[in-house]
Amino acid sequence: MGKLGELLAHPVELKSALILKFIRQPLYSNEASMSADVKKCYELLTKTSRSFAAVIMELHPELRNAVAIFYLILRALDTIEDDMTIDVDEKVRLLEEFDGKLDTLDWSFNGNGPNEKDRDVLVEFPYILREYHNLKPEYQQVIKKITKEMAKGMVKYVLDAEFTLNGVATVQDYDMYCHYVAGLVGDGLTELIVLANFGSPSLYESDGNSKLFESMGLFLQKTNIIRDYAEDLRDGRTFWPKEIWAQHTDKLASLATDADNGVACINHLVLNALSHVEDVLTYLSLIEEQSSFQFCAIPQVMAIATLSLVFNNATVLQKNVKIRKGETCYLILKSRTLKGCVEIFTYYLRQIKQSLQVNDPNYLKINIQIARIEQYIEEMYQDNLPENVAPIKTPVYLSTSKRTVQDNKVVPVIEEENYKFNIGLTILMTLAFAIVHRLMK
Amino acid sequence: MSDIKSVLLIGGAGFLGLHLIQQFHEVQPTPKIHVFDIRPLPEKLSKQFTFSRDDIVFHKGDLTSPEDMEKAIKESGANVVVHSASPMHGNTQEVYELVNVKGTRNIIDVAKKCGVKALVYTSSAGVIFNGQDIHNADETWPIPEVPMDGYNETKAIAEDMVLKANDPANNFLTIALRPAGIFGPGDRQLVPGLRTVAKLGQSKFQIGDNNNLFDWTYAGNVADAHVLGAKKLLNPETADNVSGETFFITNDSPAYFWALARTVWKADGHIDKNVIVLKRPIAILAGYLSEFFAKLSGKEAGLTPFRVKIVCAYRYHNISKAKELLGYKPNVDIEEGINRTLAWMDEHLDD
Repeated sequence: MGKLGELLAHPVELKSALILKFIRQPLYSNEASMSADVKKCYELLTKTSRSFAAVIMELHPELRNAVAIFYLILRALDTIEDDMTIDVDEKVRLLEEFDGKLDTLDWSFNGNGPNEKDRDVLVEFPYILREYHNLKPEYQQVIKKITKEMAKGMVKYVLDAEFTLNGVATVQDYDMYCHYVAGLVGDGLTELIVLANFGSPSLYESDGNSKLFESMGLFLQKTNIIRDYAEDLRDGRTFWPKEIWAQHTDKLASLATDADNGVACINHLVLNALSHVEDVLTYLSLIEEQSSFQFCAIPQVMAIATLSLVFNNATVLQKNVKIRKGETCYLILKSRTLKGCVEIFTYYLRQIKQSLQVNDPNYLKINIQIARIEQYIEEMYQDNLPENVAPIKTPVYLSTSKRTVQDNKVVPVIEEENYKFNIGLTILMTLAFAIVHRLMK
Repeated sequence: MSDIKSVLLIGGAGFLGLHLIQQFHEVQPTPKIHVFDIRPLPEKLSKQFTFSRDDIVFHKGDLTSPEDMEKAIKESGANVVVHSASPMHGNTQEVYELVNVKGTRNIIDVAKKCGVKALVYTSSAGVIFNGQDIHNADETWPIPEVPMDGYNETKAIAEDMVLKANDPANNFLTIALRPAGIFGPGDRQLVPGLRTVAKLGQSKFQIGDNNNLFDWTYAGNVADAHVLGAKKLLNPETADNVSGETFFITNDSPAYFWALARTVWKADGHIDKNVIVLKRPIAILAGYLSEFFAKLSGKEAGLTPFRVKIVCAYRYHNISKAKELLGYKPNVDIEEGINRTLAWMDEHLDD
């Protein structure tokens, strides 16, 4: 089915795509007063990731450049680590010295292989550096700290022969790997959000809550890892933890031709990923500023939609599956409120529950995990209480109530979009009708 | 002094009773265990229990009789009394009142008179149920003014008596536990009922959309909660927090009704390829019809509107209070509990 046919088959998604393209006003538009360096940075950003660039562009001006630069610096680091044409010793040296380069104004690197797709980020690195030094010092510190940590992790994996050869062994190793590639990003972004006063300080308290931003990263990364099975296998790597896949097969690659066990293994990995959902919802409830909320929420709702798509889906063993473009539009619009996010999660969790087969080895465990999330959502809102029973004021109940105040400011915007859409539709239909009428005469 | 020296388990020969014996038997230092019941301990015990009949002193008696009760309490020298005697569902109102109300009153009065320190009462999560959905209920939910049925009504009355009897000034402390959906070895209702449904070939029907959450609780975990309740009452440092209080007790993992049922059937080697879903309104209608024709033919209806409503209701609880104040956690998860129950059924102890 073509893209258009796909949209026509899902009218709600078609409506979302049209609203997103023609009606919705971004929260913050790009100011005309961008300096040449900033412009160059956004060009680089768009080149590396169109979708991510679009989300960053809509961030509050206070954070927008910091997040863009943060993203580009990590992209640069990743481009060094990913490049198999760079000699290992040289790579380790580059990674280890990388955070130090942030103190310079003109460092650049032209040693990537010609086919490395984001090599421009390193070639044009001085633009990024200059903009980096324009950021508030505390933002620079966060970016530098995370860059250093991530480089450390990369060195660890580059030098780990066992990892290179056999991939991830235990579930603990799996979490550790995801920590370095995604958890740290969540760490940095959260500290930026809290420094900007855009979210509850409790998001970045040293005790306890670090689990929340860690889960934000892990939930996304694990979803990608599950989805990318076929592609990663083709590229000769694997990130599925052996502790899990060994319960379903002797050899990971053989799952490609063993749909029953392959699907059971996918479902097992989804069960593992679902363990982060409660943290994700809690985290979102603690984000106050609207553009930051959307920035955090969009990837998470995409992830649950993707998890629901890969769940019990043998196609994943053959090729990459992707959620529909229109579905993406729908999710972007709907995830602007916490309530919307919760409804999205509930919907996809029910989809997962529906496609779960009784003969799945984790049948009850998956059911119980989904039920646990449902119970947690009940605790967030507590809107099924009998008369005269007061809600229990748990932390997530309080943060959800607080976030609902922000949600309520977004609702009129959404209503206006729908109103405009309906007016537009009416005008179009009237015109079409008039034309047809005229032609028939 | 916070040790359980001797415990008297009233109703200790029943389904939950045997699990109570087991869990009290495992307490260190091991207390003396006395059982008070109208029926004797079963001849053959499941091999899952590690205690032996010889470890227990049995007192046969009627729990509504002050003489029987006083004799047993005095002979046992119990500092803890656990009251878990309860009639099965489906009895008459008269039996409910006799056992739940009169019996409980008698136990409270005699235990207090005899200087028992702690009384642990097995109430029921059903005391707050009146047919309406129950979403994540905690202990602040009210007991409905119009009760669901005579069983829940009399359990609620008994619970109220037990809690009101709490009397720290006179060194008599009480606690009530409200387990939900108890199952495990010895269970005559939940898991065996499901096995019968599968044998009759009815497991391919699903009533309702299966989005409603239920609590099942493994009997051994319920028994653990009783041990914790007794210990916390005897410990002067914790007694104030828990005495006169009621606690929901579950496996802390609510699940969808049909997921639990199908897990039982699957463990029993039975998986339905195709499931026929009867939506709630249609099932209720079918229930009325079934009831009508059953009346005509003088048989008992399998499907009734009441049963449909029960199966389609949300009934799950929030046990934060038990976790926090009793230090309770379910040690046996649902899957393990189901396997143990089926293993017990396959022992065929009744043959």
